[in-house]
Amino acid sequence: MAKKTYDLLFKLLLIGDSGVGKTCLLFRFSDDAFNTTFISTIGIDFKIKTVELGGKKIKLQIWDTAGQERFHTITTSYYRGAMGIMLVYDITNHKTFENITKWLRNIDEHANEDVEKMILGNKCDMDSKRQVSKDRGDAISREHGVPFLETSAKANVNVEKAFMDLAQAILNKTPGREMEPRQGVDMTTKKQSSGGCC
Amino acid sequence: MAAYQARLKQFEDVLKEEVIDSKNLRKLCFNGCPFECGYRSVCWKLLLNYLPCKRCEWDDFLSKQRKLYTHFIDEMIVKPGLDASTGTHQDDHPLNPNPNSNWGTFFKDNEMLLQIDKDCRRLCPDLFFFQKATDYPCKDIIHADSRVETLRKRVEQCVLQSETIKVDRKGNYNKVLSRRKVSEEYMVLPDGHEAHWEVVERILFIYSKLNPGQGYVQGMNEIVGPLYYCFAADPIKECRENAEADSFFCFMNLMSEIRDLFIKTLDADSQCGIGYMMQHFSDMLQSSDQRLYQRIEELNIKPQFYAFRWLTLLLSQEFPLPDVMRIWDSLFADDRRFHFLKCICCAMLIEVRDEIIQGDFPHVMKLIQNVQDKVDLQKLFQLSVIYRRAFGLIAILNGERK
Repeated sequence: MAKKTYDLLFKLLLIGDSGVGKTCLLFRFSDDAFNTTFISTIGIDFKIKTVELGGKKIKLQIWDTAGQERFHTITTSYYRGAMGIMLVYDITNHKTFENITKWLRNIDEHANEDVEKMILGNKCDMDSKRQVSKDRGDAISREHGVPFLETSAKANVNVEKAFMDLAQAILNKTPGREMEPRQGVDMTTKKQSSGGCC
Repeated sequence: MAAYQARLKQFEDVLKEEVIDSKNLRKLCFNGCPFECGYRSVCWKLLLNYLPCKRCEWDDFLSKQRKLYTHFIDEMIVKPGLDASTGTHQDDHPLNPNPNSNWGTFFKDNEMLLQIDKDCRRLCPDLFFFQKATDYPCKDIIHADSRVETLRKRVEQCVLQSETIKVDRKGNYNKVLSRRKVSEEYMVLPDGHEAHWEVVERILFIYSKLNPGQGYVQGMNEIVGPLYYCFAADPIKECRENAEADSFFCFMNLMSEIRDLFIKTLDADSQCGIGYMMQHFSDMLQSSDQRLYQRIEELNIKPQFYAFRWLTLLLSQEFPLPDVMRIWDSLFADDRRFHFLKCICCAMLIEVRDEIIQGDFPHVMKLIQNVQDKVDLQKLFQLSVIYRRAFGLIAILNGERK
């Protein structure tokens, strides 16, 4: 019997228009590096990272999807199994922000009802080219009740936090299937860790 | 060395025939086309049914096609660009709500262009070639007093500069210097020069204008890229000079064979399209290695996770460019085109079968998404050829072929 190296497995999905930086965000999170010249994702890509949260070893299985409409029939089949979905737009391109509502609708249609969501406004290092204000991001976040962060894969702003927050949200409602009744203690340590890193 | 010289001689002999024997040519190309003397470019143009079989028709045909391509550029880029900048149509203006207005089309085109632009800028990033200036730019467009905007400039975003004003406690206004240097993500060449990726961008733009039903689909850049590279880096000047027009037509011919893979509405079709192709590939894998096939099924690794990309892009994202070109020699030389592609894909998995059988989901996923690190191209070919023969036998047994 193989030894299990983790306590929980979370499946995450990255969606958003093409060129907003989904692959770069994932690369920053999984390899802590940045590369401006990523080739476009065709179909679906995949990375794994194990993190520790609330005393649990959590394996994050992260799927990276192609942004263009043509690939939706391929990529929507992954929505169902996802426990958390990152919706990414590019703050230097208003169109990608306007499409967030479209992506949210996609989630409603194809994902589990209780899927955790998070909106990311990426490329926040490029302030001189900004087309979408942070306020508009906050507004859409309030409107849909979805947490929101501005990130930069390039300058490494909020990337770790984004993935960890999403994982935390999933963990919070994971029934104690694999947890001992020490749940109460775990909850407080979780609270501290998520509150402290803003 | 002598063997290589002999091989070059074989190509020379086949290509100097008055009427090219396509069967001989295919056989020869299947084992790889030499770059020397521009043989690969000529062979690809023949195998993709661009060049006619009769040598005596080549010159006329090529000049006709190249003229036609120049005409396309003029019609679809130069003229609309001029109209837009001079506003020759008095009844037409940027706010014209009529969807058929010139300006309307111009804006619609720009949306598609934006996608093409994004993808071409990130074409083969590990290769400097596409960032370099071409020696043969499109003169009508980059000419110093041409008023036609280059495609790149058409979709470059401009932003109004803004500064934040802060009021301090005493009520003084302070400019906060939040302006940062505009990040130089892409190297842009000075006016009068054109990078190779911009040429590819133009090819794709014209292709999608001519195929409005399909438009541009991500991944097409990865198909035209190796074709263009082959012609634009050819040792023969005449070939380099006309790389743009020639790769446009070769791309068009190649797309006519694989376009179904790019059409979303055919994804679930039972006769064609990528879904059908993946199913067929799966069946082939099952008949060649039942145990491996079962293991992949158990792990719940679907062909969409890897074969989708392998098949639609003809493996162009899986290997470094020189290897891709070698693989394409065989793909284009295959008379049952793209059957051999599936044989290679099977061989790629079978090459790492032991690791797949022992590994868990994440390990195997990582493995097959980066198979190129694990397989030796030469060995892969030998294996693929064996499978091709085996599948041929199976087909004969099943009475599929005469």
